[in-house]
Amino acid sequence: MTASAFQHTHSSSYARLEAEQLTLKHGKTTIIERLNVTLPEGQVTAIVGPNGCGKSTLLNGLSRVHAPSSGVVLLNGKDIHSLPSKEVARRLALLPQDTLAPDGITIEELIRFGRHPHQSALKQWAMNDQDAIDYALKAADLIGLKDRLLDTLSGGQRQRAWIAMSIAQETPLLLLDEPTSALDLGHQIEVFELIRTLSKQGKTLAMVVHDLPSACRYSDHIIAMKSGEILTQGSPKDIMTKELVRELYGVDCDLIPDPMTGSPILINIQRVRG
Amino acid sequence: MLKWFSVTPAQRPLPSVLMSALFVLTFCCVLSLLLGAGGLAPHASLLTLLGHGSADAEFTVFHLRLTRTLVGLFVGLTLGIAGALMQAVARNPLAEPGLLGVSAGSSFAVAMALVLGASTATLTVGIAQIGALIGCLCVIGTAKMQGQRNDPIRLVLAGAALSSLLLAMTSLILLFDQRAADEIRFWVTGSVAGRDTSTLISVLPSMLLALICILYTAKPLASLALGERVAIGLGHKPRRIRGIVIIAVALLVGAATAIAGPVAFIGLVVPFAARALVGPDIRRTLWLCLPLGPIIVITADIISRLVAQPAEMPLGVLTAIVGAPVLLFIVRSHRLPTL
Amino acid sequence: MIPNRLFMPNATQETVPPNGYKLLTLGHKVRILIEKKAVVRNIWLVLILLLSCVMTLGIGTMMISPKEVIAVVFGHGSPMSQFIVQDLRLPRLLAAVFTGAAFSLAGCLMQTMARNRLATPGIIGIDNAAMAFAVSSVVGMGLSIAPSAMALAGAATATALAFGLAGGSGTRGYRFIVAGIGIGAIAGAVTQLLLSQVSIDVANSAYPWTVGSLSARDPFMVHILGAGVAVCLVACLVFASQFALLPFSDQVITGLGANIKYIRIIALVLCITLTGLAVSVAGPVGLVALVGPEIARVLARYRGIPLVSSALTGALVMVIADLVGRTILSPIELPVGIVTAVVGGPYLIWILIKRSSRSSL
Repeated sequence: MTASAFQHTHSSSYARLEAEQLTLKHGKTTIIERLNVTLPEGQVTAIVGPNGCGKSTLLNGLSRVHAPSSGVVLLNGKDIHSLPSKEVARRLALLPQDTLAPDGITIEELIRFGRHPHQSALKQWAMNDQDAIDYALKAADLIGLKDRLLDTLSGGQRQRAWIAMSIAQETPLLLLDEPTSALDLGHQIEVFELIRTLSKQGKTLAMVVHDLPSACRYSDHIIAMKSGEILTQGSPKDIMTKELVRELYGVDCDLIPDPMTGSPILINIQRVRG
Repeated sequence: MLKWFSVTPAQRPLPSVLMSALFVLTFCCVLSLLLGAGGLAPHASLLTLLGHGSADAEFTVFHLRLTRTLVGLFVGLTLGIAGALMQAVARNPLAEPGLLGVSAGSSFAVAMALVLGASTATLTVGIAQIGALIGCLCVIGTAKMQGQRNDPIRLVLAGAALSSLLLAMTSLILLFDQRAADEIRFWVTGSVAGRDTSTLISVLPSMLLALICILYTAKPLASLALGERVAIGLGHKPRRIRGIVIIAVALLVGAATAIAGPVAFIGLVVPFAARALVGPDIRRTLWLCLPLGPIIVITADIISRLVAQPAEMPLGVLTAIVGAPVLLFIVRSHRLPTL
Repeated sequence: MIPNRLFMPNATQETVPPNGYKLLTLGHKVRILIEKKAVVRNIWLVLILLLSCVMTLGIGTMMISPKEVIAVVFGHGSPMSQFIVQDLRLPRLLAAVFTGAAFSLAGCLMQTMARNRLATPGIIGIDNAAMAFAVSSVVGMGLSIAPSAMALAGAATATALAFGLAGGSGTRGYRFIVAGIGIGAIAGAVTQLLLSQVSIDVANSAYPWTVGSLSARDPFMVHILGAGVAVCLVACLVFASQFALLPFSDQVITGLGANIKYIRIIALVLCITLTGLAVSVAGPVGLVALVGPEIARVLARYRGIPLVSSALTGALVMVIADLVGRTILSPIELPVGIVTAVVGGPYLIWILIKRSSRSSL
């Protein structure tokens, strides 16, 4: 079976994720209040902002891990908390920051867990399960490693394995919480390019990213957050300005377009004085 | 006094908190002399205390109750300090000698000694201290293994497993010796009643040694609280500090256990209360543990005398009933992110 | 959602199971995956268990040859050996098998849930509370109810208290475990108190309940335990694919569309039921719950959650431990709880020392 046989064209899949008047709290502390946001379909959205601005909380709220205090998250127009959790998991996959895996699990076994939402106690294996797993292995470039133990892999390979598990879930939507934090430059690029590939196949992706230039380079849409609110959103070229960077991180810098790709890069960064 | 509530615990002036605690302690001691399960009424006790009592009353107050109060004072002091030290060295608010199997190690050693011919009256403190040291060493083994994710529950689980093991071993020993079994079943309930002041005197040398250890390690311990690497960066030797602290804990717990039997949860409740009052700095909490430990033990002892009159409820049962909710409260409070 | 998979060229119509698995198909709806290695492993374990059962039935003050034992089992054999095997040794053997399986299965569930190899049902207070209640019955301070029934009541009380205090299971069941440790401490103190209040002879008669022994069992409770183990094993198989998710982080589990709270509650309920029933037969034999699952995990090479294997290894450990306890110092009978402690103790210490090499669990 060749991979070219699986041309993913998600034209028929419909995946619209939006939040209306969303309020999220940690205990008694309000993190996000009355937020409205929509993830543009078929695009890569990057959520950026300073530490503690509520990026990860928003992502957890959107993926129903964090229940809202008020407001709703709508998946294709329906309240995500009113839908059966398995049904949501067939449309929306989540890669959290905190990924604990069972001991002694191989890559393929990990990816097999991605099929969980498609299975039940009586129907534990379906015709297309193995195809989905094979495809995920191929897409994340892990075929040669599929029988290796997860603990023995490098950080980048491990992160790709987790993404592969989400791919095997066959969802039109994929949310990633800081997929590249703890990775070195080479491994970061590996993961970002995988994300671009998935986007080309029609998936809608959203990710929390710390590194602003990478966010600009690898996303189509940026949501800039500060103190639980969205400052601005739009395509990287449109919204990335000196003023925004200053507002977000409290630093002065100059923005120049990358001579090769045209995406904005930050130079001459320094703390705002006075 | 009111001013205390408006500032954070760490800002409260230590001397005045300490003075208040000493005042409360004195009050508790007097109460402990006045109240009791016997037929002696409080006002008669008061008269005796002032020098106008009958010979019987004098015996009750000055012999039975005074000894008991002194033992309570000592047990509270040692267990409170041991708990604070252990929590500092394990960097874990749940580290408590009883929970971590130190007391169980002590019990085991005592059972061994009983089988080999000692009796609870002539029991040497050293044996209990060696047992406590063995328990401590097992605990360090587990403390060392806490990975980067410092998970307080792990240590407690290890301690609980270790305790159950040591208790089973103790049972095994007692299976073969009825006399020891008969003696130890009174001892393991944990009580400050019916002890002798002479045992108190016999532990003094080892307490002096423990004191030296504590004085030597108090400051390094405070920096160890910031993390092992920070402590190394500040020029301390965490391994050595830990070793010395463990010896001090073993001496303290062993002495307390030899005198009063295993009394659980004191080492958990006392440092917890001390931290709530003066903040987390070990140099401040240690001072406050000095009066707080005896306050809690003596109060518990007074209650145990009164609650089931004319019988008495052993101290160990009462401290377990009080301590278990505190344990749960600490776990439920937001200090422990993993829970 | 992604229908293109259906239009795959060259797609085989036959469903291929993953490597090392066998697919059981029943009609169109039912497709059950079975791990071949696990089946082989469990068959071996059953055979070894049967073998040790035959040995156990034969060994004792009166030795009976394995051949004779098998004859008795099939309804032949001399009246004497029939009496010894069927009336004396078999009930005790069944109690050992059931309690071992129950403790070990409960331990496996608890350890998986807490992601900690030291988390056993023995430390969550159930067994201590059962012990306290049973002892109160023996020393005549409780109601005049049989110790077994009191032990069951104790287990139920401890569970209710722990749930009430903890207010739910908490992350990885931790909160529940800590509440249980607290309650266990209280129950332990109460037991000591009870034992110190009576004469040494009465205290001695409560001894089996304080260390865990098969000699004080109630035949009726053994039957209930047997039924309980069977039901819980079936439940474990039904929920196996859900329990397999337990080692992941909460967010991953939710992301995969499973309800983590629900899974955790089911696991806890199974765990408590098994422990409660087992404790009311044999008293606290906690270390089986530590050793049984550990052997099963080693046999399974740390793959998956060996629920059935754990039950089998637990039964095996218990049968052998009881055999050793009965025979090694004959005529003195060592309680099975002591034997498991002596054997399991060094093992526990080994885990404590060795654990640094394996980060999780």
